[in-house]
Amino acid sequence: MIEDDLRAAFVRHEPLAPPTGPLRAAIDRLTIRRRRRRRRWQAGGTALALLAVLVLGVPLLTPEPAGPPPTAELLSESGRPAPTGALNVLLLGIDGAGPEGARADAVLLVHIPADRSRPYLVSLPRDLGVPIPGQGTDKLNAAFPFGAGFTRPEMTKGYELTRRTVTELTGVRVDAGMVLTYRAVRSLTDAVGGVPACLPEAVRSVHTKRLFPAGCHRLDGAASVDLLRQRYGLPAGTQDRDRNARVFAAGLVRQAADQGVLTDPVRLAKLLTIVGPDLVVSPDRGAVLDLLRLVPTLRSVDPVGLSLPVAGLLEKDRYLRTDPKLAPEFLTALREDRLGDWTARYPKLVDSAR
Amino acid sequence: MTYEEFADTRLAPLLRYAVMLTGDPHQAQDLVQETMVRVQLNWRRVAHADSPERYVRRMLTNQYVDWKRGSWMRRVLLRGDPDESLPASVDHAQSAVDRDQIWTWLSRLPRRQRATLVLRYYEDLPDAEIADILGCAVGTVRSSISRALATLRAEYVEVRS
Repeated sequence: MIEDDLRAAFVRHEPLAPPTGPLRAAIDRLTIRRRRRRRRWQAGGTALALLAVLVLGVPLLTPEPAGPPPTAELLSESGRPAPTGALNVLLLGIDGAGPEGARADAVLLVHIPADRSRPYLVSLPRDLGVPIPGQGTDKLNAAFPFGAGFTRPEMTKGYELTRRTVTELTGVRVDAGMVLTYRAVRSLTDAVGGVPACLPEAVRSVHTKRLFPAGCHRLDGAASVDLLRQRYGLPAGTQDRDRNARVFAAGLVRQAADQGVLTDPVRLAKLLTIVGPDLVVSPDRGAVLDLLRLVPTLRSVDPVGLSLPVAGLLEKDRYLRTDPKLAPEFLTALREDRLGDWTARYPKLVDSAR
Repeated sequence: MTYEEFADTRLAPLLRYAVMLTGDPHQAQDLVQETMVRVQLNWRRVAHADSPERYVRRMLTNQYVDWKRGSWMRRVLLRGDPDESLPASVDHAQSAVDRDQIWTWLSRLPRRQRATLVLRYYEDLPDAEIADILGCAVGTVRSSISRALATLRAEYVEVRS
């Protein structure tokens, strides 16, 4: 009898149940917020890891005979302490498959602040007129072929001259660097299972006629390369392409983090063997290992996309010039490790997160 | 099955179940929200369970039994027993008040015991499934139900006498 009373009491209180509509919306909202927080956590902490890992791929490719697989060094402890202070890593995206006539289509400086809050991706416009050591003034992207030489081109020398040019332009010390070919981008993208990227405006490929509508995409390797090559028809030409490259790089880091590639030594080693042969990196391997040790100290945030402010129109001038007012301020912020203040002051010059 | 399909059909029953567990629509909402957020975040694992429905009910029940968060505890303690002071003077309402006293008594039971009662007398589940949801032996389910019923019967006797 008490059992019957219980049953009746339960059924009688059924109308207490609130409607599900608002609850369901609240659940979805909260889920999105937590998923985002979780992803930011992973992405930020591993942003540098990806870079460092890529940079580790170098030894596979540098002229010296291939040593033991880098994973061994990756996992072993070494006596050098993790670096302190701000760090700058130079990334060059090279068109063409090899050094012949290759120009740096994308020049990207990855800035890791001393407080390890979040990585900054800073594009240096390739059409910027800059003094190139020993070559007079030319476009930034010409530093690579000038350095590599024309008879028997060498990627490491092209990287080296670009590094010196960037150092003179910005005044920051470059701690490590890496040269990526489009082929490396393609294999890397496919190896992590595609990269999510959100485009603020549509892009039509002049090479394949493919249309990338505005909005979010998941790009495979071929599509990534196709997108990264486009600059004609974009409202701001190469600057829009630089922005697409930053969006892509941030997406690549997120994807690698989401896939857990960076925390799994086996998958990491596999990735290195896939991408390694297409990479060239600065010769100082010690600096590279230092970078890797820095990863756990990074607080976790998405990369912030920025560009060196420039003025001038390519139709009218031969080169782009640095913006007379904004560029000195920006470079001072970069040198003094105050890019956080800069982004707070000029939020419109920051790429939207996604 | 996608999360959306699951939520379409299962959210309302889960909410009713949570109301029976907590006795309060707001706490039920909190409980279901917290559980379903975790369900959505880990949907792949949930979908791979033999019965996603039972898996989620188990998550929700554990959440209820183990919920030790300050806000939850405070709310339970502040609740008190307001129903006891209800005026029971109107005769024709007497039986309704009697029956609603069961609802009050339920709230004084340990959460595990209340969960067993809800699962058996509201969800009409067999003891084996109740044991699976609570992660205990069938014997434990039966003893905890009989203990809960004994407590309720004692309350009855007290009121009648």
